[in-house]
Amino acid sequence: MSFLHDYVYYIGAFGLVAIGLLIILVKRNLIKLIIGLSILDTGVNMFLISVGYINRGTAPIFSRPGLEPDGMVDPVPQALVLTAIVIGVAILALALALAVRFYKSYGTLDLRKAKELRW
Amino acid sequence: MRATVGLILLAVIGVGVGISLLAIPFGAPKTEIGDYYIENAREDTGATNVVTSVVVGYRAFDTLGEVTVLFVAALGLGAVLATAGGKRGRSGVEPASLILSAGNIFLFPLILLFGAYIFTHGHLTPGGGFQGGAVIASAFLLVYLSSPGKRINESGATLTESVSGLVFVAIGLLGLTYGTHYFLANFLPKGTLNTLFSAGIIPVIYCAIGLKVGSELAGVVDNLMEETE
Amino acid sequence: MVSPVLLLAVPLGLALCVPLVGKVSRRAAGFVPVIATLLNLVLSIRLLPTVLEEPIVANLGGFPPPFAITLFAGPVGMLLSALIALAGLVVSLYALSYIKTGPTVRYHTLYMLLLVGATGVVLTGDVFNLFVFFEILCISSYALVAYVGDRAGIEASVKYLIQGALGSALLLIGIGLLYGLFGTLNMADIAARMGSADPVPVFVAMALIVVGLGVEAAIFPLNAWLPDAHSSAPSSISAILSGIAIQVGLYAVVRMVFTVFGASSMLLFFVFMGLLTLLIGELCAFAQSNIKRMLAYSSIGQIGLIIFAVAIATTDSVTGGLFQMVSHTLGKALLFLAVGYMVYRSGSMEISSLEGMGRRMPLTSFAFTIGAFSLVGLPPFVGFPSKLLIVRSALVGQEVLLQVLIGLVLLATVVEGAYFFRVIQAVYFKKGEGQEARQDAPPMALFSMFVFVVLIVVIGVYPNLITDVLESGASELLERANYIGSVLG
Repeated sequence: MSFLHDYVYYIGAFGLVAIGLLIILVKRNLIKLIIGLSILDTGVNMFLISVGYINRGTAPIFSRPGLEPDGMVDPVPQALVLTAIVIGVAILALALALAVRFYKSYGTLDLRKAKELRW
Repeated sequence: MRATVGLILLAVIGVGVGISLLAIPFGAPKTEIGDYYIENAREDTGATNVVTSVVVGYRAFDTLGEVTVLFVAALGLGAVLATAGGKRGRSGVEPASLILSAGNIFLFPLILLFGAYIFTHGHLTPGGGFQGGAVIASAFLLVYLSSPGKRINESGATLTESVSGLVFVAIGLLGLTYGTHYFLANFLPKGTLNTLFSAGIIPVIYCAIGLKVGSELAGVVDNLMEETE
Repeated sequence: MVSPVLLLAVPLGLALCVPLVGKVSRRAAGFVPVIATLLNLVLSIRLLPTVLEEPIVANLGGFPPPFAITLFAGPVGMLLSALIALAGLVVSLYALSYIKTGPTVRYHTLYMLLLVGATGVVLTGDVFNLFVFFEILCISSYALVAYVGDRAGIEASVKYLIQGALGSALLLIGIGLLYGLFGTLNMADIAARMGSADPVPVFVAMALIVVGLGVEAAIFPLNAWLPDAHSSAPSSISAILSGIAIQVGLYAVVRMVFTVFGASSMLLFFVFMGLLTLLIGELCAFAQSNIKRMLAYSSIGQIGLIIFAVAIATTDSVTGGLFQMVSHTLGKALLFLAVGYMVYRSGSMEISSLEGMGRRMPLTSFAFTIGAFSLVGLPPFVGFPSKLLIVRSALVGQEVLLQVLIGLVLLATVVEGAYFFRVIQAVYFKKGEGQEARQDAPPMALFSMFVFVVLIVVIGVYPNLITDVLESGASELLERANYIGSVLG
């Protein structure tokens, strides 16, 4: 049980990463691939947050006097995740725009139907 | 075939990452850097939200890059969709119901206000420029839903985007010339902790980011809505 | 002292101005990248003598190193930033006449941001900051590959985006592991703590980061996107992607492996990966009938050669690898620029459609020939001293293994020569059907091509012009302790 208690967030995060990776490797529908990328990003972000957690920690905000610094979690991973989320959104937006254009030119979202470029 | 290869690949990655995670115990005490930030952030940057002081203080350069990434994506999305042919108006869309359009009249200014509150108080409470910007963009999304014919003022959006981005860069360059002579260094008074006008350049940067993100995301929504008609 | 942060902040500020300038005049927007890259080129060259003596370390925000983001401007960083600015300048001049249709203002903005991303990657001294700039570089290239908006461009961009996004997710996991293990993101700080760490997690982190960055660097099994993306993009973008983007990705891999991880035991593996990338790239290039795909595969081959040289990890070989980077940028960018107008005139990318180009576009064909000769490694062009240096550095150690491998490298060069001469033969010695009137590329495009031609010849004849920089760059990469010392003080 203590193993599960210690690692449940890591397991959850990498579970999401695995699901995302598997979708990207197996599926051939562009929208599903983009969903996979999104799940993968979420997993990575959750992993980053879990790295910075300390047991029974609170948010690192001194919103009222008298808060002790000792109980606060590491702020760095949170800052990194903020950046990573925005980058994820940026990729997602561009991917969706490309999906719209892809559908317009091929009439399908199936990547196997796109055969302009083969060696 | 593809699934098998995928599963094998996943197993390899899983085992590798699993082993290395044993070296990073969950919930262990903070790193030196995290400790330093928590101990010194209030003094160094004047912000009580330590995450904000990391995002816009210690690692502000990352944030400049992050804003640029979003700018790149908004531009790229516009470029990708623009080649699809001329812009088409959105005619023949059924108007929204009375409840939606009446609610929008009440909610639109409130949502804008809430977004502005989030990004002006980023150094005091959870929140900041990106979150506030996203809230502002959601106000515009509501407008699109309630009155489908409406378009955002494209020149206004471009102007807001560029000028607020330039403000961020200019603050950085001012830090290079005034005060401590470091890019993005604080050159404004830090004020008293826990008041709105404190933390030097942080609220100024967060306001610029809030406006920039808000106009960019509204532009993204606008472009995609137009395309899916 | 001028801060190297200006190399990033000024172009970024100007890039934000482009949409505003574009509102006033669409034509004027095209000149902003010219100005920005010119400023960067001047600044980089001005900083070069300073960094040769001592690297400049800029702590952003005014906090001490492990707590703030650090920019590290050493000889390698400055050399590459000058190279990016140079190629960027020439290609932006070319784009003034080449990019006429489509959302041109957005093109120029994205193009400048691509260069900002590339410059940021080569200057940063922080792992997460590297990731951020890497994403700027990647996302702007996804968008620019689809700029033309035809079916091929969209498909190539989709492939590139999916593979690139997968790579950056792996890179981010690797960075997360590094932060978990060492509690810091500063490259020098991580490198300093590397000795005491458990080797297995470090290896996993390195594998994830190398795979993540390797997608952009086009290391062998990860480069499926490259031929599509480089052949479907507009030629000015292909020139930058082939000449700059993949080499910046490669620089990031080298910096991580050499400086951060100090993984000297892994280098033999990279020697083989480089050789494999080289052979596969050149053989595939030989099999192509599409000229832009041929050039794209040839880029894979050249990247393989650079990996091979750098991974041998002697001062001479790393110097040779860096020299090869310079000569590949000049040669391959020139080839793509020349091919851009040849394809534009003939209306097809098939090599057979280029027949008779030697008469229809004599100056463009001449520029193409110089670029091809230089890449193959003929004297007196820049490709000759760089390849010679690599071959000599591999032979000097008297290691049998390297001597055998260098034989394979020379074989790949022969293949490279074969396919380039096939094109040159088509251009000059075959009569195209329907002799059209002689009409060369526009003057601005010709001017930009001949800037590269002149540089290729001048550096080819006087390689000593840049060998000082290359050698101190090599020692910067090989001596970790100096890097750590100059950042952490």
